[in-house]
Amino acid sequence: MGEYQLDSVLSAVADPTRRAILDRLLVSDARVTELAREFPISLNSTSKHIKVLERARLVERHVRGRDHVLSLRAEALGDAVAWMTQYRDFWEQRLAALEAFVLSDADEVTADGAPR
Amino acid sequence: MTAAVTVSRRIAASADRLFDAWLDPVSLAVWMRRDGSEPSNVVADPRVGGAFTITMNDPGGSFVHAGSYTVIDRPHTLEFTWRSIATHHTDSVVRVTFRPDGDATVVEVRHEQLPDAEAVQQHTEGWTEIIDRFARTLAENGDA
Repeated sequence: MGEYQLDSVLSAVADPTRRAILDRLLVSDARVTELAREFPISLNSTSKHIKVLERARLVERHVRGRDHVLSLRAEALGDAVAWMTQYRDFWEQRLAALEAFVLSDADEVTADGAPR
Repeated sequence: MTAAVTVSRRIAASADRLFDAWLDPVSLAVWMRRDGSEPSNVVADPRVGGAFTITMNDPGGSFVHAGSYTVIDRPHTLEFTWRSIATHHTDSVVRVTFRPDGDATVVEVRHEQLPDAEAVQQHTEGWTEIIDRFARTLAENGDA
């Protein structure tokens, strides 16, 4: 996934309604009509948001008979997740090492961090 | 609000002790390093406007993290600029807060003004939170 794809992912999740839709799909798959019912927006507006999410390849649509079922494509977030995770892991590891440091009396502390 | 990552940890130590461990170059050299690596080389001028350089001696090579202190409010808040290879050598901002919680202290690190895709800079309000939730969900499912 290149930078263009990351941009489209980030643009897609910049909107609060689309974030809410993603949050909902994180729980379970849903039909388009279900989403339209659950959110205080029109079916038309729901469809537009879903299209943006599909273009960013965050969401995929399966047609089952008359139902259009949406599911999250978490793997499409790979780069964005990796991007965020690299910073988060860095600081989580540093805080673990800080804990190990302050909880040891001696200077012979390892930087391995404390067990969680 | 700009692109940011926030992590926190509750540590059984006083805010004073933790704050000093962040600001004291000798302490920093011991704990501000990756797991399994040699102690870092730290040069720091711990006053507002003062600069620091932390060279982390990772097994795979040495990585320089540098910046300058913008807020030193002992033992509540420490803020500094931060640039490294991970920030593409552009300044980001790290704000560390120390909040007493019973006999422990919650240390929160908020790393903001993170560089990357241009969209990262433009988008506001919570997009990092959802990415964060995805990351957590994936991690919990063992897929990350």
